[in-house]
Amino acid sequence: MRLWTFILLIGCNRIHILDCYTDPLGWKHQLADSGILPSNSSAGACLFQDVKDINKLQSLILELGSGLVGQGKVRFSVAIDSVTEMLRHVPLSKVAALISDLRSHDQISSIFWLLHSDIHDVRVTTSLEYLSSMVASVESLNQSSDGLSGDLGNLSLLEQNFRRGKFHVRFKRRNGRVRVMNEQFHMEESGIKFTSVTVEDGLVSQGLVPKVLFNLELSEKEKLERARVVLPLEHQGNGKPIQIYDGRRSLAPESMGEVSADTSQSNTEECSNGGGEIIYFRDSDDDRPDSDEDPDDDLDI
Amino acid sequence: MAATKTRTSSFSRNLPAASSAQSPEIKCGPNGTFLVSSGIPDLDKTLGGGIPLGSLVMVMEDSEAPHHMLLLRNFMSQGLVQKQPLLYASPSKDPRGFLGTLPSPSSPKDDKSRSHDAEQEKGLRIAWQYKKYFGENQSNLDGQRDNKQEFSNEFDLRRPLDRHFYTGQHVDCISTKDLPNIAALQERCTSFLSQFPRNDASIACTGRIAIQSLCAPQCESSNMEWEMLSFIRSLKSTVRSANAVAIITFPSSLVSPSFCKRWQHLADCLVSVKAIPDEDKELAKLLTGYQEIVGFLNIHRVPRINTQVPAVLEATTLSIKLQKRRYLVLECLNQAPVDGSSGSSYGTSGSCSGSSSKSGSLDF
Repeated sequence: MRLWTFILLIGCNRIHILDCYTDPLGWKHQLADSGILPSNSSAGACLFQDVKDINKLQSLILELGSGLVGQGKVRFSVAIDSVTEMLRHVPLSKVAALISDLRSHDQISSIFWLLHSDIHDVRVTTSLEYLSSMVASVESLNQSSDGLSGDLGNLSLLEQNFRRGKFHVRFKRRNGRVRVMNEQFHMEESGIKFTSVTVEDGLVSQGLVPKVLFNLELSEKEKLERARVVLPLEHQGNGKPIQIYDGRRSLAPESMGEVSADTSQSNTEECSNGGGEIIYFRDSDDDRPDSDEDPDDDLDI
Repeated sequence: MAATKTRTSSFSRNLPAASSAQSPEIKCGPNGTFLVSSGIPDLDKTLGGGIPLGSLVMVMEDSEAPHHMLLLRNFMSQGLVQKQPLLYASPSKDPRGFLGTLPSPSSPKDDKSRSHDAEQEKGLRIAWQYKKYFGENQSNLDGQRDNKQEFSNEFDLRRPLDRHFYTGQHVDCISTKDLPNIAALQERCTSFLSQFPRNDASIACTGRIAIQSLCAPQCESSNMEWEMLSFIRSLKSTVRSANAVAIITFPSSLVSPSFCKRWQHLADCLVSVKAIPDEDKELAKLLTGYQEIVGFLNIHRVPRINTQVPAVLEATTLSIKLQKRRYLVLECLNQAPVDGSSGSSYGTSGSCSGSSSKSGSLDF
C-alpha cells in the first residue's frame, strides 16, 4: 500500500482545525435542526458543512489562516488530511484549482497534503504530482506480491509494517534538477528515525549514452572468452620451447588454446579445447577481404 | 545561417519584390519560408536558422522541472524586444504578472564573457571535443554590435525586461484557469491572428502566441480532450495562413496517451524537456559539464514547411545549461572520456588480469 505522507509540521504551536470530516454535507446539521439528532458543537474546531463548495472552503481556509497570523508578514501553512476524501465530493480540476490557488497566495508559506495513491487513477496522482514541488511516498518494507494484506500467518510481518517502512522523496529543485532520496524509517517511542539506504539507479545514464557506431561493451560470455585467450607472442613459460603462432596453422593439441583471426562471418565465440576464441566480425563485406594487394596501388597519381 | 541552395530544377520561386527590404528580425529561410528567432540562438542554429513563420511549436513538459518556462520566457522576450504583438495564455490567475519576470537582452559587454572557457594554457591545446570551439570566433564578432535591431538576442535571465516593452496595446494576456471551455481561448487566438494575414505583399508585422501548460489540471477544460484537440488543429491551420508563430507547452504525462500522440502529430516543431537527477554520480562521470547542466532538450521534429525533404539533425538531445545562472545555453551532449586504464567500463571482473596470470610477463 502506498501512502503519500507529509513531513511533520513542528514548531507551530498554533493550529486551527477546519473539520470537514464530521459533517461534510451538512446532514447532521439538518437533522439537528429538525430535532431528530441532538446537536453537539465540536470544541476548538471549525466545522465545515459544505464540502462541495470549493470556493467557500478556500475562503474559509484563508480567513482562518489570516486570523491565525494577523495582518503582518508572518505566513501560515496549510495541511490537508487526505485529498482522497476531497476527491470523493469534488472533481479533480476543482481540487487542483484549490491547491494551485493556495500555492500562489502570498500569505501561505507551504501546503502539505495526503493522498492514497493506490485508490486513484493514474491521472489523479500525476496531476497532483505535477502541482507539487516535493513528492514523498511511504511504502511498507515487505511488499506482498498480490497487493492484498495476506493471511494471518503473516501477522508478525504486519506488525513490522506498522513500525517501519520505506520513504522515498523526489524533490524538485528550483533549478530544474530532481533530488531523489531513499530512506528507511522506524517508529520508536522517542520519535521517527530515518536511516538512509542507497539505491542503484543507473537507468537515466543508460538512456542517455548515445548510440555509438562501435560496440565498445562486452557481454559476460565474451569477457570470459577473452580471459581464456592465449596471446600469440606471450611467453608460455612452462619450460617447453616457445611456440609462436603465426596464424597459419593450428597449434598442437597439448597447447593451451587457440587463437584464430579468420574471416568467418559469425559473431559467436566458441569454447574449444578449453581455450577461448575471438572471432572477428567484419564491418563491411568487401569483395576481396584480406587480400594481399596494397590498396594504394589503385591510386592514379 | 540559411544556406543558399544551388538550383536543381528549372522552377524558381517567384518571390515578391519587396521581400528584400525586410526588417532584421525576419530572415529568409529555405523553401520560401521566413524565419523568426526563438530567443535562444543555439536553438535557432539547430532548427536551421529559426522558426518558420506559420509553424506551430509544441513543447512537451516534464512535470518535474520548469524548463519549458525557460523556453517560453526567451521566446516571449524576443518577440517583445522586437515589438512583435504577443498573445499569452496561462493557467494562473494573473498572467500579466508573469510578464514582469521576462528576461532582458544582455548588454554587449556581457557577451564577451560568455565565450567558452577553454583552457588558456600556452602550451599544446588538445581540441578533444573540437566542435565546441567552432562558435568561438563568431561570438566575439557579435559582441561588437550596438543596440540596433538584430535577428536574435541573448537574454540575461537575471535582469527583468523593461516595463515599456510589455505595457502596450500589442500585448494581450488570457488566463485559461477559469474558462469553462476552450472556445473562448480559440476566439481570442483567431482574432489575434487576423491582424497578420499572409498575402503577397511584404510582411508588415509578425505576431507570437505563447500558450503555457495547455492541459494543466487546474483548468476546467482539461478533461475535454476532444475539444482541446480540435482547438489545436484550428490554431495550427490559422497560424499557417498568418505571419505568426505559436508555441504551446503541455504536460505530456497528464494527457492520455492516445491524445498525447495526436497532439504530437499536429506539431510542426516538437521538442521535449526533461529533468535530470541531482548529484547523480553516474551522470557526472558520463557527461562533461554535469555541474552546469540543469536538464535536457530533445528535438523530435524540426519544422519543414514547403518541403518533403526531412532534416537529419546531428544531435537530437541537447543539454540545457545556465551559464553563470544567467544565460541559457544549449549544447550537444559531450560524453566524458571513458577511462580505459582503470577498466571501469569493462567491469572489474578481472578479465584483463585473468590472462596475465596464466603466463609470465610480456617481453619485447
